[in-house]
Amino acid sequence: MRRMLRLFLPLTVVAASLVTAMIAAPPSFGVHAPLTVADATAMLQNTAITTALLAVWMFAAVALTLLSGREIRYSSLEMRASALHCFALGLVAVTSFVLTAIVFSYLIPYLVGVPLLFALGVFAILTKIYGMVAVFHAIGTLVAGSRTREQLNRRRWLRGDLAMVVVGIIILGALRLIPIVGPIIWGLSSVFGIGTALATKFGRREPWFLALKVA
Amino acid sequence: MKDPTVEDACQRYLEDPEANAAHLETCAECRAVSAALSAKASVEPAVIDVNTLPLANWEGSSHRPWPLVLGLGAVLVIIALALCDAAGMSPVHVAESSLASMEAIRSLVNSATASLRGASFGWQIAFGAAFLIVNALLVLLLRRSPRGIDA
Repeated sequence: MRRMLRLFLPLTVVAASLVTAMIAAPPSFGVHAPLTVADATAMLQNTAITTALLAVWMFAAVALTLLSGREIRYSSLEMRASALHCFALGLVAVTSFVLTAIVFSYLIPYLVGVPLLFALGVFAILTKIYGMVAVFHAIGTLVAGSRTREQLNRRRWLRGDLAMVVVGIIILGALRLIPIVGPIIWGLSSVFGIGTALATKFGRREPWFLALKVA
Repeated sequence: MKDPTVEDACQRYLEDPEANAAHLETCAECRAVSAALSAKASVEPAVIDVNTLPLANWEGSSHRPWPLVLGLGAVLVIIALALCDAAGMSPVHVAESSLASMEAIRSLVNSATASLRGASFGWQIAFGAAFLIVNALLVLLLRRSPRGIDA
């Protein structure tokens, strides 16, 4: 059984990675410099949209960190402690979201599909938002976090959950602006984030399922 | 046999030693008990240098550097507005563009559903099996308890 699981898990992760990559890949994946004025305008518009969305992300992240800083911190810690588990869980969760959405969409003629699809969409969006904020915190802590107590005491601004989240957004946002590589990094971060949010139950560190004990 | 009033005084001393400290001067038995307890309590705890301990993740976490947050937020908003202005776009256009990606996902799901409806019975069974396997794997992975703090 264990041997089967050992083979089954990597195969499923590879399959889920392929599905996720197919979904997350940008629609036009051509590698070329802007040759015409129209190309240059499109590139400028894309950059403007990305930067505007980053600003929205920053406001959302600051609000969420102020509301539940401890949960974000727990999730960020979990991501750094068991990154592979979070990534595998994220891949499986994204694949599960897509497959479940297809099943619910299949059920639309029977009326029950619409509320289920709506609930799934809301849950997926909330998971992604929470997870991304946890990713921002993790990146900020990895890059700019204090290593020693003296360093922490010396710092005036670059300390605390809020600063780590903001630093993480700036770093990941800058990477997001790189053509082709940026969206892939952002997509992988989303997978990490979704996995972390689910692994820690949104930072609450409670089990998802009750343990069934046979007397 | 002890005098009942002395016994009451001993009882009161044992219940609240600090308030009835004067009792020790009159009762040799309680004095002996107190001395024995003091001798046991005189073992000093090991000296811990807090600075040598690793930094806990919650230390300094509640600090809120508003100048940094507001400054970076303002810079980001200004850059975004300048880029939107240069590209000749309004904030409504940005919102529409972000909704377009949601629309792309929706159309992908719709086309997959349409394909599934038109697919053969065997493919539908295979899809059902994939759905069950992926969700079973998800449940399996969710059962593992987080280990961040204990790591």
